[in-house]
Parts: sequence; C-alpha cells; structure tokens
Amino acid sequence: MNDDEKFFAWLDGELAPAEAAAMEARVAADPRLSAMAAEHRGMQSRLSGAFDSVLEAPVPDNLQAALRPPAEVIDFNTKKRARSIPSLPQWAAIAATLALGFFGGTMVPRNDGGPVAVQGDTLYAASALNHALDTELASAPTGAVRIGLTYRDQTGEICRSFTQATSSGLACRSGGRWKLKGLFAAPEGQSGDYRMAAGMDPNLAALVGSTMAGEPFDAAQERAAKETGWR
Amino acid sequence: MDRSQSFDDQLAALVPRLRRFAHALSRNGADADDLTQAAIERALRSQEQWQPGTRLDSWCYRIMRNLWIDTARANARKSAREAPEEEGLSVGEDPRPRIEASVDLQRVMAAMTRLPDEQREVVALILVEGFGYREASEMLGLPIGTVSSRLVRGRTALLAMEGER
Repeated sequence: MNDDEKFFAWLDGELAPAEAAAMEARVAADPRLSAMAAEHRGMQSRLSGAFDSVLEAPVPDNLQAALRPPAEVIDFNTKKRARSIPSLPQWAAIAATLALGFFGGTMVPRNDGGPVAVQGDTLYAASALNHALDTELASAPTGAVRIGLTYRDQTGEICRSFTQATSSGLACRSGGRWKLKGLFAAPEGQSGDYRMAAGMDPNLAALVGSTMAGEPFDAAQERAAKETGWR
Repeated sequence: MDRSQSFDDQLAALVPRLRRFAHALSRNGADADDLTQAAIERALRSQEQWQPGTRLDSWCYRIMRNLWIDTARANARKSAREAPEEEGLSVGEDPRPRIEASVDLQRVMAAMTRLPDEQREVVALILVEGFGYREASEMLGLPIGTVSSRLVRGRTALLAMEGER
C-alpha cells in the first residue's frame, strides 16, 4: 500500500487501529493532509448524498412487474391466457401431440382392461386410472398415475387432470364415475418422465383453462373432496 | 436480514439499493432502470444458485455488475461502429426520465460517466454503496490492492471534476 492508498484507507476506516492512530496523528500535524481529508470527505458526502435520492424515489412499475414474473406453469386462474394463441414452442408440442380422444373422441378404445371404458358414446376412466382418480392426491403421489390439478368446472362437478406413462388427460365427475373429457398422448421421448407444470400438454392446458371455474383446489380442499366422494 | 423471508421479499427489499448502484454505473436514469430490471430478472431466474445463509445483497450486486460489464462491452462495440457522440452532449441527460432526476443526481452521474469503467465500479461500491474494500474485492473478483489503487484514482478524478465547475 503506497502512502496515498494508506491515507485513503484511513479515511475509509479500513486501517487496523494502530495504523489508523498513526495516520490520524500525521494528518493532524500536516495542514496539507488535513485539507485533503476535508475535501475528500466533502466530495464523498455530496456524491453519496446525490445518489441516495434514488433510494427515496418510488420504484417504477416496470421494476415492480419484474419482481412478479408470470409463473412458468400456465396460470389457470387466468383463463384468457390459457386460451390465447399458443406461442411457437407450444405449437411444436401440439404438432407432436396425438389426440387420442377428445369430448367423446373419434378413436374409441376397446373395453379390454385398459384405462378407458366406453359406454354408449361416452368414455369413462377404468381400472388403474379410475382407481387413481378416486384415491390419489396431488399432494401425496404414490402410483404410476400422477394427479395434476383438481378443481370444479363451470357445471360444479369436480375435475382432475392426470398424467400417466404415455398420456395425460382430464376427467370430470359424472353420475358417480370419472368421465374423460380429453386424453392426449405424450410427445415422443417424453413418456415415462412426463410432468405436469411447465411440461403440461398444451391441449390439456387449454382444456383445463376453458373448463375451470374459480381456482384449483389446494391440498386441504383436495383431501376433503376425496373424503366426501368427489361430490 | 430475516432469513425466514422469502427470496422474492428479500429481493424486493433490495431493489432501491440496486437501483442506486445502477444509477452510479449508468449514463442516465433510463439505462439505470433497464439495468435494474435485467438484474432482477437474472436474480429470479438463477435463485437456485444463491446459497441461503450468504449475503443476498452481494450476490445481487455481482449479478448487476456483470450485466453492466456485458452491456458496456456491447455498447463499446456498437459505438465503435457508429459516429462518436459529441462528448458531454448526452451525458447525464435522460430522454425518458423515470425518476425526478435532481440537478445533483444528474451532475454526479455525469461525473461518474467520465471515469473509466474499472474505477467507476469501485467508486460505486465503496463510496456510494458503502461496502468495505474486502467486500468490494470479493464482489469484483479483484485483489484488494487493485481495488484500493483504483479507488484512489477514481476519487481523485472526481474531486478534480468538482474543481472544474
């Protein structure tokens, strides 16, 4: 540390006590150094005082907004957003998505113990899927079928989105059963690790967004709904 | 800082100080708020990289400083291609005033802008933000002696500029 640096380190309170005392005595004995100390203290106080005015200024809207970024998960409380024109990556995902069945569907699976049962022109959840919709909680996943959101639709029925190995979908209560509103195949390469949240199938996201009334259930509401038989 | 506060709350509480630092680094208020916004966004995106128990403010200042360096480099390349601005004409003037920039603030921002970047960041951290030499040297990744000598040159230049008025 050269002499200048030592002087300023003293001015900034950065010297060890013994060194600081020595510099203090030197400055006191030297009018040139005393004047320099006063000049620099004045300059720093004007400098920091001027910049401190920023602290008192209200934080502008764009910075407030930056603190609350839109969640990466599609916000189902804002239905318009879910229904808006998907951005490019979403289009890519839609192109890669094969709709297996949608509002009754055009492809009708057989009743062979698979996850879907057909009655008339309506698809219902069956076997493992039906069991999962009856018993699984999003807050405590246990099986191969993962529950995403549970909510009431605009007719007041409880709906649940789900994800299984190679597909995801939405089922709503109807006459004591889980009626399938939509079932979508996972894009190639995503099966097995297909997750809710940011990776939710855009078709499913749109379907959820267009049917939800109010807000999705929290863990306590979900548990209560299970205990009362999803009514 | 209360550790039970959420990351978002702690970050929000830091915004006025980050804005002050941004004003000390930037040419004008609009650039300062752009820098602040970029730093907030970067901090939120990389919050997993922040280790709870360490100082969030130093971490955020480092983010802002790195963003500012990147922007300064990009601007330097840009202005090297374009006709140089007449010095002093645009300095400190804010075409889109986002805060009621006082005469004092404009004056100190103009003075800071005349410092070389490596002196400006040291002066901003120590004389404006009040960090110690060691904290500043850690944030900047510089030896403490380098911080100390740059600080001497920067503050001496600022005092000389005051004398010009």
